Amino acid sequence: MSYALNEVEATAKRAARGAGYDWGLAEEAAKATRWLCAQGLDGAAVLARLLEAGFAAELQAHAPQGIEGDWLADAPLCPLATGAALSDCAARLRDMPMAIGPVAQPAMILPFAATAARQLGACVTVAGEGFQAVTDGAALHCEGTLPDAAARLTIGAAGSLPDPNPGRTRAEPAEAAWAALNRFAHKSYAPATEESRLLGAGAGLSDND
Amino acid sequence: MEPTAQTTISRRNPAQVMRLSRLGSLHQCRLSFMRVLTRRMARENWSFARPKFDIDAKGVGVAVYTATGPARTYSLIAFAHDLPPEMRSDRVIATAWDATFTLFDGVPTDADIERLSKNVPYQEAGRVNEKSLSVSRANRSVRLWAHFVDALSQGRQPDSAQADAVGYLMRTTAVYGSGKLGAADREAIADRPELSAPFQAEMLSVYLTRVFVRDLVEHMARAKGGENAVPLAPETAQRLGIGNSTGLGMAPYIVNHPVLFNNWIMAREEAIARVRSVETATAEEAACFRRMLRRSELSAARWHSEHPVQIEKLASLRKDLEALAAWVASDDLRNDRPWDRLIRWSGTALSLEGQELAASLILEPYAELVDGLSDCMADANKDAFIINGAMPVSQVRSLLQDSFGWALDLDWGARENCARAWYVSEEKLEPRMGERFDEPIANYEQPLAPARDAALAHAALAGWDAEAPVAAFLLRHPEHRHTVRRAQMSQAAPYGEIRSNTISDRVLPVDMLRAKLSFFGATHFDPRSDRWVRICMYAGAPYPEDLTTANADLWVYPEADQ
Repeated sequence: MSYALNEVEATAKRAARGAGYDWGLAEEAAKATRWLCAQGLDGAAVLARLLEAGFAAELQAHAPQGIEGDWLADAPLCPLATGAALSDCAARLRDMPMAIGPVAQPAMILPFAATAARQLGACVTVAGEGFQAVTDGAALHCEGTLPDAAARLTIGAAGSLPDPNPGRTRAEPAEAAWAALNRFAHKSYAPATEESRLLGAGAGLSDND
Repeated sequence: MEPTAQTTISRRNPAQVMRLSRLGSLHQCRLSFMRVLTRRMARENWSFARPKFDIDAKGVGVAVYTATGPARTYSLIAFAHDLPPEMRSDRVIATAWDATFTLFDGVPTDADIERLSKNVPYQEAGRVNEKSLSVSRANRSVRLWAHFVDALSQGRQPDSAQADAVGYLMRTTAVYGSGKLGAADREAIADRPELSAPFQAEMLSVYLTRVFVRDLVEHMARAKGGENAVPLAPETAQRLGIGNSTGLGMAPYIVNHPVLFNNWIMAREEAIARVRSVETATAEEAACFRRMLRRSELSAARWHSEHPVQIEKLASLRKDLEALAAWVASDDLRNDRPWDRLIRWSGTALSLEGQELAASLILEPYAELVDGLSDCMADANKDAFIINGAMPVSQVRSLLQDSFGWALDLDWGARENCARAWYVSEEKLEPRMGERFDEPIANYEQPLAPARDAALAHAALAGWDAEAPVAAFLLRHPEHRHTVRRAQMSQAAPYGEIRSNTISDRVLPVDMLRAKLSFFGATHFDPRSDRWVRICMYAGAPYPEDLTTANADLWVYPEADQ
């Protein structure tokens, strides 16, 4: 089924929240998922696989230990926490490339490389084993296959966009991934009670006047 | 937005403007989205047609209304239903309605209508695609509808007192746009000049809905009365608007879109500053203001509410109107910055309702100073979302201080200051507000208390080196990320934050609803509780066949002879 990108964004935000991420990172997850879909990638599937890894419960164990230096860790890094930090530290990429790893769902790093590129006004290249992706912030050119996990990524302000993918205005997520996101989203909803039905929205039940 | 006109009076301070009590007293003005639309359609000489009206004697069927501008045609597809009374609810969780609609991008084929007929009547349970720009539904005002059909079918015009008491024959209970239910994203249409101002597709859908409702009531009267039936008198039809019943679902919108909301408020504040800066007014400008003030008195006289808070506000407004009339009777409104004098006086003499009415009214004589600002009201600044991680901790604290200084010392642990929590119910995914200490909702709380969150972040930042980049703080404290983002947005959006507590035991969500609806151009706000309001849209507006540049704008003010 075809979805509006706003639907993808709204569902992704609720799903990330339902999976236990704080609101600010849930917002990042939403924009990132939308961006991947606009590039023609199945961002919903990437997010669903990430949320199933369950990093949110122990996020600090899956986040860089500090903003300095390379971000190398024992446990796999969460691409939302790591990507957000990457975007926050975009200026660093001007001086020299940085290495991060291991990273789960490295595709989810790409939207943050894009916001870094927008801040730098230059292309950012993300390279890992078997793939290399370049973004100018708006478009993406990706060679190779994006894996489910990358031992090490090299990220730097470099590259150019020879042949960017045409931007998409709709998303067609895999049905199972979409269902998974909705299952996570459901955890962010308060169970309905008759009391909340009556009090919460504040309207009467009849419209016969 | 980039203000260009020379102003000697500056915009009002956000600390004054953004209090919820004042936002809950806003009135429509020249920048209201309905007026932006009708002005454009008249100026560009849009044409309108009704290529299909296939509705049976029971009122069941489909109709299509088209609106064609210089570059494109849009079509309202209306599905009319025969709804049993027990299913008629204006709750968002209703499952059936008297009529359902979609605004279609272009002219629908029979196959499009067939596809949509299997989806639009089911609203949230259906799917549309990117050819739909909005999806909406409406219910009849049951008593007034029956009265109109009876009267017209018997060859009589309906009683105007009854018509005025309600104001509309149908009210919408939701108008979904921007990607909802599969419709086109706002981003897909935002670069079209006719849809670039906010909510233009939704406003067009309601404008055409009003035509459909008029046609349908006449059709039903003919079905009932045959040759005895008469059409609705044009002056009665013109006074009817479309009602809207809006619950809490809309309230979070202005919190969730701080840059967009800023752009609305800032455009109006810039307009007010420009007009206040006018040194001398011409006789015609002064006369225009006086006419609109008189017509506002008529509008206020027709504004009814049974809600105690609004009854009190209306009483104040009527007193304010008397005071305003006396003030303008004693002043020629010509010299020494007349509008600035008026606004400064209003701040000392009128209630918030009256102050904001005066602020909207002074804009009326100044189309050339004001109307262009409607181009600044959309949110095109997508990069405002991106956090600048290099910003020092001290600067983030200072931004939080600017918007939320009033909230930093509040005792956020005190029950009355955090009595409420906003959440989304699993039932229909609608935003709701509940009692934090009485209901099991705190774990599901939505980020709709920016003031409390600002106080928390401000305190957490206090332990950090003032010169440290906020990126380092955010890496350790992702729970404050949304708050730091908003703080940075406030640099470009000084009017983006409500400066009142949105979770206190005294918060009135209807104030948030009114702030948004006033920018639509709604009138006659009638709160039904602290969190649910009925309004009227397009009352007084010319129908498409009568729309001209002469009547496209000031229709919102009733004329004395009506």
